[in-house]
Amino acid sequence: MRCRDVEALWDELRGECQTSLKETVHSHLRSCPSCQAMYEQYEGVAYCLSCLPPPEPSCDFAKKVVQHIATLKGTQYPPLVLAALTTPVGRLYVGLKSERIAYVSLDTGQALEEIVARAERRLHRRVVPGEAPPWLVRALDRFFDTWKLDDALIDISDLTPFEQSVLRAAARIPPGEVRSYAWVATQIGRPKAARAVGRVMARNPLPFLFPCHRVVDSSGDLHDYYYGLEMKARILKMEGYRG
Amino acid sequence: MSALAPLLRGVHVPSATTPGRRAAVRRPADSAPSVANFERIVDEYQRRLYGFALRMTGNREDAEEIVQDAFVRAYRALGKMSSGQRADLRLQPWLYTITLNVTRNRLRGKRPSNVALDALADPDAILRESHEGPPQPEAIVEQNTDIALVERALLQLPMHLRAAATLRFIEGRSHPEIAEILNQPIGTVKSHVHRAVRILRRILGPQIGRFVPEGVPQHALS
Repeated sequence: MRCRDVEALWDELRGECQTSLKETVHSHLRSCPSCQAMYEQYEGVAYCLSCLPPPEPSCDFAKKVVQHIATLKGTQYPPLVLAALTTPVGRLYVGLKSERIAYVSLDTGQALEEIVARAERRLHRRVVPGEAPPWLVRALDRFFDTWKLDDALIDISDLTPFEQSVLRAAARIPPGEVRSYAWVATQIGRPKAARAVGRVMARNPLPFLFPCHRVVDSSGDLHDYYYGLEMKARILKMEGYRG
Repeated sequence: MSALAPLLRGVHVPSATTPGRRAAVRRPADSAPSVANFERIVDEYQRRLYGFALRMTGNREDAEEIVQDAFVRAYRALGKMSSGQRADLRLQPWLYTITLNVTRNRLRGKRPSNVALDALADPDAILRESHEGPPQPEAIVEQNTDIALVERALLQLPMHLRAAATLRFIEGRSHPEIAEILNQPIGTVKSHVHRAVRILRRILGPQIGRFVPEGVPQHALS
């Protein structure tokens, strides 16, 4: 038996296989120090992997999953209709809830089902794909012309009161300007909540419309953005920011 | 396994014939999986699927979201199946397959996690790091470093090899089971497992001996 054949049989031999095959390989190993070393190292790799501690999800994870599924199957809420349309920042998926915008996601090449699952996770509501109505196309055209949000077009009632106040404060930052996370925190009367503000920005269900891209860190550094810092800089530049 | 016993000298390595560390909890034979007993399915499989998703992504938050999405998909699919289909369903491999598909979908549109990114940016970094200085005396710190080293090595593998190695050596699945989960011929599975081990051996080579429990002669695995 050649060394190459012996190497290929390593994992095979760890399971059920013919005794005669095992004996043949074993006798080769006894006479071939390099194959023996190789087998030892392969076993070492398998051993290392088997020793990795089993990770635990967070303690309320199962409960969270069951609750999420219960909300999705519930019929008391109408589903969110997800429509795709092209805008100056790229192709957007827009979630509509009774003729108002409740969710926005930039198309970054994921599968549609991944976008749907993310929207469902964020809003705890069933999401179904649909067509973009003409009023939405006009509304977004107008928005990307002026970068000013028409409050009558949006619905953030599924969010917590804290999230809503953070997003509304961010919407008061004029287009083309930036403010810090601490500034937003002060605006809502929670000056110590800058980090919590950052957390809301990171999970903003209406990016672009609620301008989380205008929130930066106290030193003026762009800090971070869900769609990458390059995108954050690009949008600010489109609005006329000269930072 | 028996052929290797003299080499291993008592080191326990899970194999296809012995159950993995986390032995399967069997669901009662009288109840086919359904939306009615889905809560129990979540309870029973959440840890296992979370572990798999975490090894695949290297990120806790991603892993939880992936498993949550996988359960939602499974729930919806079960709702559309006939009772005959549900009775024939092999639940565990099916759930693994869904989790893997969600993972693939998700990683496709996303930048790699920081850990994976660091490792990918400089594949030799992991080797250099492992050669830095003598082992520290603090056993716990040392052990955690070793775990991190193996975890990062795993994340350096291309996804299809990572899936094969994770299912085989961490989840303790057999070749036919992996073939079913990955929907691949057994020969392909064997080849992927083998390629994964070869790459991991190259990355971890000098480190492997450090993992051997006390009492096992160093020359057996170093």
